[in-house]
Amino acid sequence: MSETSPADSAVIARSRQEPEVFAEIFRRHAPEIKRFVIRRLGLDVAEDVVAETFLAAFRQRGRYDLARHNALPWLYGIATNLIGRHKRTEARQLNLLARTGVDPVTEPFTSRSDERLSAQAVRQRLAAALAALPAGHRDVLLLVTWGGLSYTEAAEALGIRVGTVRSRVNRARAKIHEELGGTDPTAVVIGEVRHG
Amino acid sequence: MDELAQLNNFRSEVPVQEDLRAEAERLMAGMSAPVRSDFRRLGLRAASAGGLAAALGVAVFVVQSQPAPAPPPPLIRTVAAVEVLSRAAEHAGSRPELHPRPGQFLVYQSQSMYTAQSEGQIWLTRHKRTIWLPAEGSAVKGVLQEETLAPLPYPGHTLPPNARAEQALVGKPGRPDRAADFDDRAEFLRTDYAYVSKLPTDTEGMRRHLYTQLPFDGLQNYEAWNRVGGLLDESYLPAAQRAALFRAAATIPGVVTVKESQDAAGRKGIAAAMVSPLGVREEYIFDRKTYDYLGRRGVVVDAKLANAPVGSVVSSSALLKVSVADSAPIVE
Repeated sequence: MSETSPADSAVIARSRQEPEVFAEIFRRHAPEIKRFVIRRLGLDVAEDVVAETFLAAFRQRGRYDLARHNALPWLYGIATNLIGRHKRTEARQLNLLARTGVDPVTEPFTSRSDERLSAQAVRQRLAAALAALPAGHRDVLLLVTWGGLSYTEAAEALGIRVGTVRSRVNRARAKIHEELGGTDPTAVVIGEVRHG
Repeated sequence: MDELAQLNNFRSEVPVQEDLRAEAERLMAGMSAPVRSDFRRLGLRAASAGGLAAALGVAVFVVQSQPAPAPPPPLIRTVAAVEVLSRAAEHAGSRPELHPRPGQFLVYQSQSMYTAQSEGQIWLTRHKRTIWLPAEGSAVKGVLQEETLAPLPYPGHTLPPNARAEQALVGKPGRPDRAADFDDRAEFLRTDYAYVSKLPTDTEGMRRHLYTQLPFDGLQNYEAWNRVGGLLDESYLPAAQRAALFRAAATIPGVVTVKESQDAAGRKGIAAAMVSPLGVREEYIFDRKTYDYLGRRGVVVDAKLANAPVGSVVSSSALLKVSVADSAPIVE
């Protein structure tokens, strides 16, 4: 961040008197938030969720903790709560991918030729594992991986303790590890090539 | 590749989204939804006046520094500087108290003047108003009745065309209307009686309340001062909290006494004041004898920042009467 670019907290503080300034928060973070929401729910639902996320953030800006310079964890938290309303959509798409290998979420962004068949099995098993996770565990896991949040930021985003974040990530990780066969699938592919 | 790397790879072909027009439009529409922000009308409202916003922006963004967890240490002040607030604290219990119950309303009758602007035009808009606010809970169930008074030119400017719409309304009292479409104030900014009667009654506790969540960005003392005003206008504190509020206000760095002041109804008094980042001295006015709160006034001390001559008045209010009612008028 350059010196001339004020922290998110300063922008939000100012938006409390000048609401239109809040558009800057949207400009800074909406592209990333939208990508995250699409990865979880697909393109169709994402527009609603993203619009609602920023409207909710706008309405809650009076409660924003100005000690947090970066608003991204806060926005991820709001988005995650709204994504929770679409749990069935999320599960349906993950299960479809697990069963058929076709991912409705990535379809608009992929051409057939892009699909690497070697990774297909991994995708299906990952989808199954994600679908099987308790919603709270999936939320935390995806915030720290796709969202890139630290454990502390994820805890702030969801209003839970850091210890809870840590234990959920660990358990979710163990389950995925198990689902992927407890082995490194990449190594298996390389092994096949070597011996094959 | 471990499972986290696998997961990071999963659906990574979804690109960062650049086309957000639909969402942006919905946000803009939501942001400009009619909100009668009766609560901050006197605060930094002038900040949005042309040119001033930029000035404030500089103040906000240049002074940006690390937030600290606690408010600044109270200054040791000369008695004279904060005398008016000390006196007001001493007098806080000298009047019969109002005791609104849940379900009842506090009724505030007031008169006010503040900066209005649209399409680059600026003027002073004036109203008489009565607001019924629930003794407990958000302002959404409140009712507001306003009467427009003749607008005045912003000091150093002429009365612009857009002010004429207001002129046409003079002498026609408005119908009772909802006081707010939504009340999204943070919990700690609530001003309903149920909430404020639970505020701390000691100076230090009230002081912490005034500085809740304020970053040390150079504006924190003025914002705390602004919050004092939020608890004076259209808010009614029990005597113990009112006394604590005045004592806590006296510890805010930068507070001065103004010997001669005058509220929006022309009542003279003595004031405690602080100069805003916009070059306006924001005064809270008290009756010289009873130390009852009368209202407030904004006087220009920096012509460049305020875009008006030094000494001119750019805002004022007068709290004329506070009472308790069992119900509010029906909104049609």
